[in-house]
Amino acid sequence: MIINPISAIGAARNIGTGLIEGLADGGKAQALTPGNQTGLTFGEVMGDMAAKAVSDLKGAEAASFAGIKGTMSTREVVDAVLQGEQSLQTAISLRDKLVSAFLDITKMQI
Amino acid sequence: MDPLSASLKIAGSGMETQATRLRIVSENIANARSTGDTPGADPYRRKTLTFGNELDRATGVTLATVKKFGIDKSKFTEEYDPGNPAADERGIVKMPNVNVLIEMADMREANRSYEANLQTIKQTRDLISATLDLLKATQ
Amino acid sequence: MQPIQLFDLASRQAAWLSARQEVVSTNIANANTPKYVAKDVTPFQAVMERTAMPVRMARTNPGHMADASQLSDDVDVVKARLDQEIGVQESGNTVGLAEELSKTGEIKRQFELNSALVKSFHRMMMLAVRK
Repeated sequence: MIINPISAIGAARNIGTGLIEGLADGGKAQALTPGNQTGLTFGEVMGDMAAKAVSDLKGAEAASFAGIKGTMSTREVVDAVLQGEQSLQTAISLRDKLVSAFLDITKMQI
Repeated sequence: MDPLSASLKIAGSGMETQATRLRIVSENIANARSTGDTPGADPYRRKTLTFGNELDRATGVTLATVKKFGIDKSKFTEEYDPGNPAADERGIVKMPNVNVLIEMADMREANRSYEANLQTIKQTRDLISATLDLLKATQ
Repeated sequence: MQPIQLFDLASRQAAWLSARQEVVSTNIANANTPKYVAKDVTPFQAVMERTAMPVRMARTNPGHMADASQLSDDVDVVKARLDQEIGVQESGNTVGLAEELSKTGEIKRQFELNSALVKSFHRMMMLAVRK
């Protein structure tokens, strides 16, 4: 399942209120209203995001090989690399938020 | 093959054919007054060329080519010039069937087409450059 | 509309524009070839609805090899609208250089807008997912 990176970060900021937009195949956005039970936990968002980042990076790498060999057009390679960049950046930001949230928790007074 | 790379090859082949065309036109103009050596001999015959297409097997791109070179079979013009080595018993010399005005017009056309192909190469190069520029987007 | 859909649409348009550039280049290179009929591509509107990516040119000649860039039938190469000033010349050629060069300008404009938009939106996305 492909997740909109901007909304995923938004979800990270609003853990529990859950405004998550999922993009189904073919690119149709389905917005869900706040408070609606989606069945997606933050853990799943994290996991999906990380998986997407990895697969996009692999795609970017494969596209680069094809581009060098000459079997793929320039624009397609560029598109794959841009996609890889976006997913990677999203995953990194999510990870950073998770880490800082964890550190906040450890600093809490008992 | 990537359409943009193919465009470069195609425009390149177009330039080559127009350059060949210019060469033929130059030959015709240069030899517009070239008569034969011996009495009654034939003078320079106007050269022509026909354009065509050729499929480049390696890339699958259809390139423009010169299909064949030809000879203009129209009649020679005749001039009265008894002192000329090529003059026959009546003093008539056969002159090349080259009309300089037509050749000049052809040359202008060839130039125009050459420029258009060159323009295409520049444009395609710009398009490729714009695409690669996307990767240089500031972080 | 989500930015993700924009990237997809922009990629399709870029592929369509590249295909058109190739066709226009072929027209210009064959401006003096006898019996050569000027070609163009199907309008982008028609191509936009199709879901297959990447957008590539149809195989128009059975002699063409099954090359990567000619396999799908998303973009069809069709006969170009007849240039009224030139019409059909004596040799059977229908290429009007002025018309082709103005198509070239149009392609360039659309392509540069396309890549500028993608560049901006990519940058915005990167900023948005930053802290």
